[in-house]
Amino acid sequence: MGAHLARRYLGDAETEPDPLQMPTFPAELGLPDRRPRAMVATARQLAEGQVPLEQRDFCAHHLLRLLRCHRDAFPVPWQCRDLRHAWDACQHHDYVMRMKEFERERRLLQRQKRLRRREEAAAAATAQ
Amino acid sequence: MAAATLRGVLWQRTAARLWAARAAVAAPSGARGASEMSKDLMPGPYPRTPEERAAAAKKYNMRVEDYEPYPDDGFGYGDYPKLPNKSFHERDPWYPWDQPDMRHNWGEPMHWDFDMYIRNRVDTSPTPVPWHTMRKHFLIFLSTMLIMFGLGEIFPAYRPVGPKQYPFNDLYLERGGDPNKEPPVVMHYEI
Repeated sequence: MGAHLARRYLGDAETEPDPLQMPTFPAELGLPDRRPRAMVATARQLAEGQVPLEQRDFCAHHLLRLLRCHRDAFPVPWQCRDLRHAWDACQHHDYVMRMKEFERERRLLQRQKRLRRREEAAAAATAQ
Repeated sequence: MAAATLRGVLWQRTAARLWAARAAVAAPSGARGASEMSKDLMPGPYPRTPEERAAAAKKYNMRVEDYEPYPDDGFGYGDYPKLPNKSFHERDPWYPWDQPDMRHNWGEPMHWDFDMYIRNRVDTSPTPVPWHTMRKHFLIFLSTMLIMFGLGEIFPAYRPVGPKQYPFNDLYLERGGDPNKEPPVVMHYEI
């Protein structure tokens, strides 16, 4: 887990993405047919369900169903397992997408560094 | 009305007689009870001559060599002895004191602040480790913790993931954005 931290703080910070400054490259670079993420629940539904702001992400439709099931099945706690699993699976795929975004940013930074090195080498070669 | 006046006069007369009887058996002002000490046992002014010092030491049941009054600088200590500022915690717990809870013998000269130095209050007993060693260890620990927290602020640790993506232009309206203005467009894509 600490390899990226060691690379960022002790090694080459040029090719390590800063999560606070992401994304720095345009979204279509290298991925021409990107589809935007679909939001299933509407903002009005989330507001009426009084969902906390941190949980109003792209998996919130599973959360709304889960909350409704909890409200209807109280006090039985084991009735909503499938809906809970659906929400957890959605969160897992969301986290994997975040990891992929980080890796994409990192590879684009490395490519940027390679291109810059090549240009500098070419400029130095022509200058001589 | 006449009866009320008569009753008022009778009550005043009774009160006056009671008051006179009380005054007749009252002690004169400035007198002390029999349980109090005599004047020569009470503290006196600051001793100036060696004879006064000897008399004061004898009054306080101390040796003349041990007797040291408080300096005469206007704070009103008089000839009261200046005893070491040690609390009763430091006295031997196994010695058969006359007053075991106070660790004090009858007739022993009492410290000016004895009520502060009782075993429920201020404790002047020496620490097991020297004071400077304790202070040094505490400062080493405190500075190490502060330096580490500072380093954690400068170089934060994070997971190798991108930031979490939120819909509706990063929840522009939910986070208190102005509904009349155009929100900054934030698009998220699948990957």
